[in-house]
Amino acid sequence: MPPRRDNDKFIQADSDSDISVDDEDFSKSHKGKGKADVRRKRDVKGKGKAKDTQSYTWEASYTRSWETVQEDEAGSLQSSVDDWMARGRRRRLLEPSTAIRRTIIRHLILLLDLSTSMMDRDMRPTRFDLMLQVVREFVAEWFDQNPLGQIGVVGMRAGIGERIGEMSGNPQEVLKCIADRHKLEPTGEPSLQNSIEMARSSMSHLPTHSSREIIIIFGSLTTCDPGNIHETLDACVKAKIRISVVALAAEMKICRDLCDKTGGQFGVALNEGHFRDLLFELIPPPAQQAVSRGASRATNPSADLMMMGFPTRLPDTSPPSLCVCHSEVKSEGFLCPRCLAKVCDVPTDCDICGLMIVSSPHLARSYHHLFPVRAYDAVLSADEAASNSCHGCFRPFPPPPTGTTTTSEGLSPLGRYRCPDCKNDFCSECDVFVHDVIHCCPGCGQ
Amino acid sequence: MDDARGSHLSVLIDLSPTQWHNSAQGPPRNTYPLPLNSFLSQLLAFLNSHIASKHENTLAVFGAFPGKSVMLYSTIDPTNHDQAIDANSYPPFRLVDSTIVTRITEELEALGEPEEEAPSSLVSALIKALCYVNRVTLPSVSTTNNPADGHDPAILPDPRILVLSVSPDLSTSYIPIMNAIFSAQKLKVTIDVCQIYGPDTIFLQQAAHLTGGSYIFLERRDALLQYLIMSFLSPPSIRKILSVPTQDKVDFRAACFCHKNIVDIGFVCSVCLSIFCQPVPVCSTCRTKFPMKTLQRLNASRPLLSSSTSNASRTSPSTPQARTPTALGADTGASTTNGARSSTAPLGGLPHSGSIGNGTPRAANINGSRPGPEAR
Ligand SMILES: [Zn+2]
Ligand SMILES: [Zn+2]
Ligand SMILES: [Zn+2]
Ligand SMILES: [Zn+2]
Ligand SMILES: [Zn+2]
Ligand SMILES: [Zn+2]
Repeated sequence: MPPRRDNDKFIQADSDSDISVDDEDFSKSHKGKGKADVRRKRDVKGKGKAKDTQSYTWEASYTRSWETVQEDEAGSLQSSVDDWMARGRRRRLLEPSTAIRRTIIRHLILLLDLSTSMMDRDMRPTRFDLMLQVVREFVAEWFDQNPLGQIGVVGMRAGIGERIGEMSGNPQEVLKCIADRHKLEPTGEPSLQNSIEMARSSMSHLPTHSSREIIIIFGSLTTCDPGNIHETLDACVKAKIRISVVALAAEMKICRDLCDKTGGQFGVALNEGHFRDLLFELIPPPAQQAVSRGASRATNPSADLMMMGFPTRLPDTSPPSLCVCHSEVKSEGFLCPRCLAKVCDVPTDCDICGLMIVSSPHLARSYHHLFPVRAYDAVLSADEAASNSCHGCFRPFPPPPTGTTTTSEGLSPLGRYRCPDCKNDFCSECDVFVHDVIHCCPGCGQ
Repeated sequence: MDDARGSHLSVLIDLSPTQWHNSAQGPPRNTYPLPLNSFLSQLLAFLNSHIASKHENTLAVFGAFPGKSVMLYSTIDPTNHDQAIDANSYPPFRLVDSTIVTRITEELEALGEPEEEAPSSLVSALIKALCYVNRVTLPSVSTTNNPADGHDPAILPDPRILVLSVSPDLSTSYIPIMNAIFSAQKLKVTIDVCQIYGPDTIFLQQAAHLTGGSYIFLERRDALLQYLIMSFLSPPSIRKILSVPTQDKVDFRAACFCHKNIVDIGFVCSVCLSIFCQPVPVCSTCRTKFPMKTLQRLNASRPLLSSSTSNASRTSPSTPQARTPTALGADTGASTTNGARSSTAPLGGLPHSGSIGNGTPRAANINGSRPGPEAR
C-alpha cells in the first residue's frame, strides 16, 4: 500500500514553482530544527488536507473535501476562508527573505520502465501509453522552465538498460525519440542497476557547474540486477547524482533508498492525475542543498560564467532564407547577435560562431527567486493618514469595524496590508497576488 | 460572436510631459506631430467605441505619470461626479470623457515643475493593471457584498491590456516588466502595445509577443484613431479572423544587472542566471565566485567580440529615418547611466555590448553633458 504521507507531501504544493522551497522545509523539519519549522510543516499539511481530493482510483467517488470546511455559528464560510489565508500569510512570513540559490543548469536522464508490467491497465489506457503521453508534456514544460537544461532518455527492458535518446538541449529532439511507441514496446523484466549505470556513465563527462539528475518512472515490483545495486547507489551519491522515482505500482524499499540517499523525491502515483502531478513537481529547479549553501558559499566549484547572446526573432512574414542548422528555406528564425546567422530554434549554440543563443525571457523566468518581495505587515489599528483604497487594484477598503473583532494571527482586522518599503496599503487579494504571482510590489515598482 | 459576455479592456496611458511636448513639435522633428489634446480626443473616441460595441464591456484606464501611476477611470468604481445632463451627449460617454480629462488635468497640475523629470512609471501602472484584472476576474468575498455592481465580475472573458507608450525603454524596469509578463501569461491577459512616440521599446515588444498581443509602432501618427480601432478594438478571439497586424521582429535582448545596459551579448552566472555586460569575478546577485580560468578566457575573447559587433546595427531595416539613435538619444531624458561609467549610451541609442566597458566613450557625444537621472 502506498503510504499516505507521500500523498500529503506531494499534494501540498500545487502552486507553481515554489515547490522545492517546501521540499527543503521538509528535509529541515525532519531533522527537527526548531519550532518554526514544525509549525510550518503543520501548516503545509493542513493545506494539503484541505485540497486533498485525490484518492485511489477505486474510491474516487468518496472524496471527503466537505469535512475540512467548517461553518461558523452564523453559517458562514468566511472564517474558514480567513483561516486558510492566514496560514498562507504565516507561511510566507517564515520563508527566508534572502534569495534561495537554485541549480538552474540541469542535466536529466529520464529512465523509463519498458517492462511487461507497464502493460497493466490499472491506469487508462495502459500504464505505458499514459507514461508516454505524460512524459511528452513533461519534456515540453521542463524545457520551458529549464531553458539551459538537457535531457537524455534511457529505457529499461529485457533486463538491460537501453539508450533511447542522447543528452540533448533541444526539446524537439527529445520528443522525437519518445514519439514512436512501436519502437518502445515493453518486453521482459526491468533492471534498475543496469539502467542507472548506463545513465550514470552518460553523465560522467558533464561539466561540474551543472546538476545531474535521474528521474525513474517505475511500474514494476521487481528488478533483476547483475550485482549489488547498493554499490551503484553509492557511486551515484559520490557523483552527486540526484535520483527521483515516480512509482506506478507500489513503494519498493530500494526505490525509496535511492531517493533518500541522493536527495531526490519519491512518490507513488495513485491515479492518472496524481501521476502527472508527481512528475510535474520535479520540473522547477531544485534549491541547492543546504550543505553547499552554508559552508562553502564563496567557493562553489560548480559555478561558472557563460557568454550568451540574445537573438532577434524574425516573423513568419519575413523573406525566406536558408537556416544554418538544417539548410532549409524558412521565413521565421532567430538571428545570432554576433554573426547574424539564422538558426531555427533557441536555446542553441550558433553553428557558425559557437555563441550560446538564448532568449532573454527564458532566463528571466527564474528571476523572481532572486529578488523576492518582502512580506507585507498586517495593519492592526486604524490610521488617519492612510489612503482609502488599495494601492494595487484600487478596491475601496471597508470602513473600520466598530467594537472589538477577533481575527486570527497575521490577519488585519481592517483588511489592510502594508508594504514595509513603500508604506502603501494593499488589500488581502493583492497581498496574495503580489507575493505568489507577480513577485514585485506595485508601490515599490514606482 | 454570439458570446453574451462582455470583454474587459484596461488602457495604460503614458503621460510623460516631456515626451508629449516633443511629440507636439512640428515638421523638422516630426513629420506627423501629435499633441496631447489631439491624442486624447482620438483616444476618447476609441474608448467610447469599446463601451458602445457591447453593453457588458468593461473598461479601466490607468495613467502613468512621472514617478506616479493612478487609475483614471473604472467601470466598477464609478466616481460620483454629478454630471449636468447634456441633451447632446450620451451619458455613459460623457461620464468616461469628463472623468478621464478631469483626472489627467488634476494630476498634471499636481506635478509642478521638477528640476529633472522622473521617467514615467509605466511598469508600476502595468502591475496595477494586472492587480486590477486579478481583482475583477477573481470571484472575491468582498465584491459579492456589493450588489450595486449589477454584473457578475467573475465571468470576464479574455481580459486585455492596451499600453499606449511614448517613452523609450527604461532598463531599470527589466525585471519587474518580465515578472509582469509572466503574471499576464498566468492570468491569460493579452497585452497589446502601441508605441506612439519615441523608439521601439524592446521590453514592450517582448510583452506583446509573449502574451499573444500585437505590437504596433505608429508611423503615421495622424492616423492614430484608425490604428486603434482597426487593431485594438476587437477582442483577441475575433482577431484571428480579422488578421490584425502583428509585429515585425521581436528583439530578445535583456538588460544587464550591473549597469542596466541593454545588451545583446551578455555574461551569465550559471547559478542564478544574472546577466552582466562584462566578465565579473564575483556574481553580485548570489555572491558566487567564478574561476580565474573562465575570466581569462572570456576577457581574451572580447576584443574579437567588440570588433565584430560594433558596426552591426540592430535597427531593423523597416524603421523610419527619424528614429536614428542620435535623433532620439539626445532628447529622451530617460537614459540611466550611472555616472561612473560614462561610456554607456542612452537607451535611445541601444548600446551594443561590444562598445561597453572597453574604454571608448563611444556615446559620449550623444549623451553629452546631460546625464540621465540616477539609476535606482
Ligand atoms: Zn534549421
Ligand atoms: Zn553566431
Ligand atoms: Zn487590492
Ligand atoms: Zn512596496
Ligand atoms: Zn552592466
Ligand atoms: Zn549568480
